[in-house]
This record gives sequence, C-alpha cells and structure tokens, in this order.
Amino acid sequence: MSSASAAAAVAEVAGGLVLAPLLVGLTQQAKAVLQGRRGPGPLQPYRELRRLWGKSGVDVEGTTFVYRLAPVLVAAAMGAAILLVPAAADAPGLGVGHDALALAGLLALARVSVCVAAWDTSNGFALEGASRDLTLSVFVEAALVLSLAVAALVAGTTDLPGMVAGTAGGSPWTSPALALGAVAFALVVVAETGRQPVDNPDTHLELTMIHEGPVLEYAGRDLALLQWALAARHWIVLVLAAGIFLPHPVGTWWQLCLLPFTLALLSLALALTETLIAKMRILLVPRLIGVGAAVAVLGIVTWLVEAL
Amino acid sequence: MIVLVAAGLAALVAGGVAAATADRLAVGLWAQAAGVLAFGIAGGWSLCTGDTWGAAFTNELSPHAGIDGLTGVFLVTLALVSCPALAFATAYVPATVTGRVTSALGALFLLSLIGVLCARDALSFLFFWELMTLVPAAVILTGNSSEAARHTVFTYVAITHLGGAGTWIALLLLAHEGAIGDPTALSEGSGVQAVIAVAAIVGFGTKAGLMPMHAWLPRAHPIAPAHVSAVMSGVMVAVAAYGLTRVLVDWLGPAPAWVGAVVLALGGLSAVGGITYALFQRDLKRLLAYSTVEHLGIVALGLGACLLLRHDGAGTWASFALGAALLHTVNHAAFKGLLFLGAGALERATGSLELDRLGGLLRRLPWTGGAFLVGALAIAGLPLLNGFASEWLTLQALLHVPASAGVWDGTLGAVALAALAITMAIAVLCFVKVIGLVLLGPPRRAACAEAVEPVAAMRWSLVVLAAACALLGALPGLLFSQLVTLAPWGGGDVPVRPGLDLPGTGNLPTMGILVVVTVLTGLIWVARGNRRAAVSPTWACGQPHAPQLLWTSAGFSKPLRLVLEVVLRPEREVETTTSGGVMQEVSYTGRVPHLIDSHLYRPVVSGALLGASWARRLQSGRLGTYVVYLIGLVVVLLLAVRIGAIG
Repeated sequence: MSSASAAAAVAEVAGGLVLAPLLVGLTQQAKAVLQGRRGPGPLQPYRELRRLWGKSGVDVEGTTFVYRLAPVLVAAAMGAAILLVPAAADAPGLGVGHDALALAGLLALARVSVCVAAWDTSNGFALEGASRDLTLSVFVEAALVLSLAVAALVAGTTDLPGMVAGTAGGSPWTSPALALGAVAFALVVVAETGRQPVDNPDTHLELTMIHEGPVLEYAGRDLALLQWALAARHWIVLVLAAGIFLPHPVGTWWQLCLLPFTLALLSLALALTETLIAKMRILLVPRLIGVGAAVAVLGIVTWLVEAL
Repeated sequence: MIVLVAAGLAALVAGGVAAATADRLAVGLWAQAAGVLAFGIAGGWSLCTGDTWGAAFTNELSPHAGIDGLTGVFLVTLALVSCPALAFATAYVPATVTGRVTSALGALFLLSLIGVLCARDALSFLFFWELMTLVPAAVILTGNSSEAARHTVFTYVAITHLGGAGTWIALLLLAHEGAIGDPTALSEGSGVQAVIAVAAIVGFGTKAGLMPMHAWLPRAHPIAPAHVSAVMSGVMVAVAAYGLTRVLVDWLGPAPAWVGAVVLALGGLSAVGGITYALFQRDLKRLLAYSTVEHLGIVALGLGACLLLRHDGAGTWASFALGAALLHTVNHAAFKGLLFLGAGALERATGSLELDRLGGLLRRLPWTGGAFLVGALAIAGLPLLNGFASEWLTLQALLHVPASAGVWDGTLGAVALAALAITMAIAVLCFVKVIGLVLLGPPRRAACAEAVEPVAAMRWSLVVLAAACALLGALPGLLFSQLVTLAPWGGGDVPVRPGLDLPGTGNLPTMGILVVVTVLTGLIWVARGNRRAAVSPTWACGQPHAPQLLWTSAGFSKPLRLVLEVVLRPEREVETTTSGGVMQEVSYTGRVPHLIDSHLYRPVVSGALLGASWARRLQSGRLGTYVVYLIGLVVVLLLAVRIGAIG
C-alpha cells in the first residue's frame, strides 16, 4: 500500500468516526450566525454525545430484543458504510468493497432498523415518523440510484474510487450529464441529512418531525449512537458529493488536501438553504425529489446522446 | 445419476400412493420429500459439473426426458422449497380423507413440475404443463369447495388457459421450425420468430403472473393450503420463468431489440405494480401473493436486460444478467416458501391472518416468529440476506444497459433502473409494516396473546428455510459463478468466490460486509454496556397508551397512498351519525381498487357476456329455426360455387 492510499484510508476512517459530528456542529453554528444568534459553537454535538453517553438507556414496556438491537445495528451499518465510502481515488478496500449500489443497501438497512424499532414500541409519533421516512425514501432511493448511475456511466464503473478518479479534473465542469446528476444528488443530500425543506432537525413538535420521530423513545447511550449515526450520514453523503459531483483535482494527496475545505463549504451551503427555504408540506416533498429523479434520468439520456 | 433419478421417481410415486392410504400420511409425505431431494441432488450435480443426462432436446413429438444445467437450477429450487414444505405438511395436513387426497395430489403436482423441467420434446412439455395447471385447482377445491373458492378456481383456470394458449403456439411453432434445442434454426427478425416471441411472453408471462396477465395469481395462491401455496408461489411461477428463459434466451437465437424491451417493460410494470398493490392488502397471504408478482417482475427485468445486452453485443454482461435473473428465482423461492409456510403456521396458531388483528407474535413464538422475521427482511432486499445479492446484481445489469446500448434502449434501461430502485424501497415499506403488525407491538386479539409455538416439524422446516436465506445471502457467488455458465453464448466467466466480484462494479463482498457488520454490532453492543433505567410506558403525550391508539396497516401506508392518489384512485367513505347536534358515531371504509381488474378485465368480461347473450338468441331451440339455418347454409354454399368462390 502506498503512503497516499494509507493516508486516504486513515482520512476515511478517522474522518467518518471522529469528524462527522463536526459537520453537524458547523452547520448548526453557521445557521445560528446567519439567523443573528450567537450559537453554541461547532463543538456542541460532541458535548451532546458526551452527555448522552453518561446517561442510562430506557426500555419501553412490552418491547423485544428488536428495540435493544436497533441503535447498535444502525451504528454498525453506518460504520460499514463509512468503510465503503472512499475519501480519495486511491482509497484501499477495507473488506466491504467499494460499490455505490451496496452503499444504498447499507443506508436502507440503517433506516429499516429504526423503523422496525418504532413498531416495537408501537408509539404513534414514532410510527408517524417511520411511515413518512419510508414513504420519502421511495423517492430518495430512486434519486440516489439514478444520480449515482449518471456518475457511474461517466466514469465507466460503479466502483466508488473509480468514480472519484473518473470524474476528477475537468469533467464536473464540462459534462452536462454530471451537472444534472449533481442537481439530483443535492436533493438526496438534503433528504438524507434530514434538512429543510425536507425535514427540520431542530423541531421536536411531534406532528412535524420525520427523522426525530422514530428515535423518540431512545435515551442515553442508545440515543448517542443514533445521533452519531445521523452525523455519519452527513459525512457519507457530503464526502460523496465532494468526491464525485463537485470539482476535485486529480491525485490522492490533492484530493485529501481539498476535502476539508469542500466539506466545510457544503456544511455552510446546508446552513444557507436551511435559513433561506422554509419547510415544505410533507406531501409535496415526494414531488420535489421525484423531479430530482427525473432530472437524473435526463442526465443519463444526455450522456447517451453525448456518446453518440 | 440414473439410479438417483429412478429412486426419486419411485419415492415420489410410492409417497403419493402411501399418502392416499389410511394411517400412512406422514410416511408418504416423507417419501415424497426424499424423492424431490433425489431430483434436487441430480439437478445440482448437473449444474455443478455441466454434465447433461438423458435425451437431448428434440423436435420429434415422442416422449423424451433429460436433465441439463438450466433444468438443474430449477430442480434445486424445487427441492429447496418442497422438502421443507413437505416436512411442514407432515404436521400441518390433518389425517382426514381430505388431507390424504390433498397429499396424493401434491405428489402428482410435484411430478408434473419435474416433468415440465425434464421434458425434452414439445408434447411431453405441454402435457406436464397442463397437468401443472390443473392439479393445484383440484387441490384447492378438495380443501375448500365454497362458492368463493369455486369462483376463484374458475378465474384461475380460465385465465391461465387463455394465456396458456400462447405456450402451445410457441412450443408447437418451435417444433415445427425445428428450433427446439437449436438456436440457429430461426433467422433474426423473421416473422415466425416474432410470433414465437409474443406467444411465449403471453403464455409463460401469464403463468409467471406478469402484469397485466397476473389477475389469477393473487386470487388463487392465498386460498390453497400453506404448503401448496409455498410450492405454487415459490416453484410453479419459477417454472414459468424457466419456460421464458428456455424460449427467449436459448431457442429464439439472437432476437431483435423489441423482444428485450417488451420483457423489460412488463417486468418493470409487474415489479412496481405488484409491490404497490401488496402494500394495500389486508390479508397476509394475499399480500404475499402480490409480492410474488413483484419478484417475478424483477426476474423479468433481469431477463429483459439480458436480451437487450445480448442484442447490443455485450455478451459478458448479458450472461451476468441471466445469472442475476436465475439467482433471484432461487432466492425468491427460498424466502417466499418461508413466508408462506410461516403464514400457515401463524394462521394455525392464531386463527386468522388479517393484518390488523395480529401482533406481538415474536414474543409468543420465538422460533416461528424469528424465522418469519428473517424471511421478511430477506424479501425486503436488505443487505446480509439473499434478496439483496440478486437485486444488487439486477440493478448492476440494468445499469449496464445504458452503458452498451443506443439512446432508446439505454433510456428504457435507465427507467427500468429507477423502477427497480422504487420497487426495493416500497418493498421495505411494505415488509416493515408486515413485521410490525404481525410480530411486534402488543397482541391485538386474545388468540394472539395465547398463541403457542407449533410442533417441531413445522418449526424446523421454517428454520431450515431461514438458514437457506442467510446462507444464500452470505455466499451468493458460489451459485452465481455456476449460473453465468448457463448462457448459451458462453459469455461470462466468474471466479468462484463467496462474494460477487464483477468487472465494472465496486464488488459486493457479501462475507466481508456480513463480518464487518456483525463484528461492529458486537463491539458496539459491548461498549454500550447494560446500564438501563427503570422500564417506562410508551409515550403518548401523557395519556395512557390505549389499544385504540395502535397504528393500523392503512395508517402506516397512508402517506404513500396520498402521494400516489392520482394514480391509485383510492376510495374512501366516512359516515357520521349525529343526533341532537352531537356526533354519535363515525364509520370509515377505505379501499384501493385494483385498476387493472376494473379497467382491463371487467370490460373484456362484460363484453364477452354481452356477446354470449347475443349468440344465445340464435339458439332458439325450435326445430324450424334450425331447418331455416340449414337451408340458408346450403343456399349460400350453392351461390358461392356458382360465382366461383369455392369449388
């Protein structure tokens, strides 16, 4: 293993495990500043995790092992997904392969664990969130697979490091197909991270929340794991956006140097959309993301026409 | 090999006879299981070694039988489902006259399935094909001869025979053209090739339950006894996929692009439509039957991708697509057999399979419930289990259609890719709902609160199938590397590995993912420790959590129903009774009508009835009328001769 690919592996594992909450913190802080508040500082998610880790979990009456297992399985699935998403083109395989579509499967596994646990508690608010989350995921999944398909066609493989290498340099600037894929992927990023206009991460009003709903009954270390998993989801989709759909240089060292700046910029962009756009009515969101999926199909057609 | 096959045949026949005699029911069923297992081993042998046994395919119309690799795949599938189903039946079927007749007919059903798979000429294929259609009808009527069941069986036999005419046309034309077993006999783009392709798609597609020819399937599969449902849904539809593969992929030779496009379109429609209607079913077995339509749709997506890729000269990926379709057939048989048997066990334990009136069964029945949980997660296409491996392969195959095809086919491939992604996500929604309503939460009926684990034979057959789902999920590459060699154009060569390593993908090391997720789960579980506060009740805004607050099937699928309102046109009625200005009672009914039934089948049926009532007027029953008809005919014939039209 070359030193560059070792560095990429370290960046990917350490970044996913440790730096992921910082992305959430940066977004929250930037949002506070944009809204004229002072904000708790970008390190607030770490303080939250420390506080939760010191508290005991709570079991709900009548639940089975499913409720106990779910937060652990969510964290494990996100851990595997972190190993799967390369920080740079030279990232070595870490035992879980590097396939873009396998990533969609792991994200689904995490989502299902939480939603099944919601049934286990049979809490009405948890189930409301779960049913909304799974309904939106029908459209998010289509947009995710299609936008990744655009990039895979441009790069000629669904191997994620191959896709990072295949779209490096000029192609994000010059390929209209990739630009259309990027539009679709931007909507996926907003939906997967649970940001406005799809979901409001700050609300705890039972009737409006989506991702906060199914985790309502969890406390202590269980909740810490779920919150870390949400942060890891930020890391995964933002790293993908930076490595595939946004301009990035050729060469692993350059890519690794640029990555922190791109990630910070993307966190700011999330804060900006959260400030500028109000939350949508829940039943309108599928239309928005459905349009995203259609744009990705258009991207594939564009690529087919370009290849003529 | 010949010993194995002869022993299997003898065991099946003896098992059928023994099951029919008094007091030997269990012995007969076990003998049948042994017979099917022998055929499964013979098929597996043929698949692994590549040997063929018995006669080769012939265009003669005299009986020939043999086994080759493709037959082997489906014999293995048959054994995989039927052996646990027969073991299940030893405890499930009552030792009454009905039970004995059902079991003897079951042996005949299995024989007809084996017959279709092993037939090497058109005539015996069609004989066993008809037998395979008729025997389940007899089984259903033996167990349940109510008005509703008879009507269902009539629908089943009517639709499968109307559609099945396509099978006859396709097979007889193939024999006539000398194309059975010879892909070079038909020239590409010829008229007869087109007729055969359409006839085969209609004939086999009807039996496979592809939309819009599926109307019989969700009606017939749920009313059969559980072990017969498992074989019908797991294997009988797979045999239709076998026919489709034989004719379209093998004997048709290089086909024009529209054949692949039609199969792809039907597959996409069946996948999305099947799972969408499954979501809105209230009965567990009916839901499972609709999900069979979905999964055969996914198989058809794989076959369509295979045909398109082959047409575009991408032989390697065409063989991968074929492998994906075949692997999904095997996987579907495993989890659908498991779920139908599980549904039978749960029905025995609780008395009814109405989704809103189950609940809490994982706690009461840890073995049955646990196996059912594994099956539901596998069918939802989640990683670590078998459904994901073959759906991943199908996604990859569809993604490679745009990579090697022209603009039109490529766009169709992209839309099919979107359809499969949507199907997988709706399947997740659907089976999360099933898991929640059936296995988790508080019991919603007294019978569920008192349900007890079924006897060992039923329990273990479920556990065996659950283990098969896990094993196929961990080691799909071992089977897949054999399946890709079945492509008649000798396309792909995949190294034998546990995972799926394919060129042009990022690889799916199933074992690696399993190990990583399991190890991480263990580590995090230990790190979390065991510190728990006192158990608390479920949060319901401070109210007590009353049974009225429990979520229903309709409630959980409501967001998607509202989003798809324009397409699905759900019906809902709310009636309120007020007296003295105070609302006394609210009654709500809602349902999602089946649009293909009401917009496609109903006009055809009512048109046919109208035509029949017109035709009946000609048959007055009076002698004079018929004499007039006869004289009229003679006059017309004489006139025709006079003007020289005939004679």
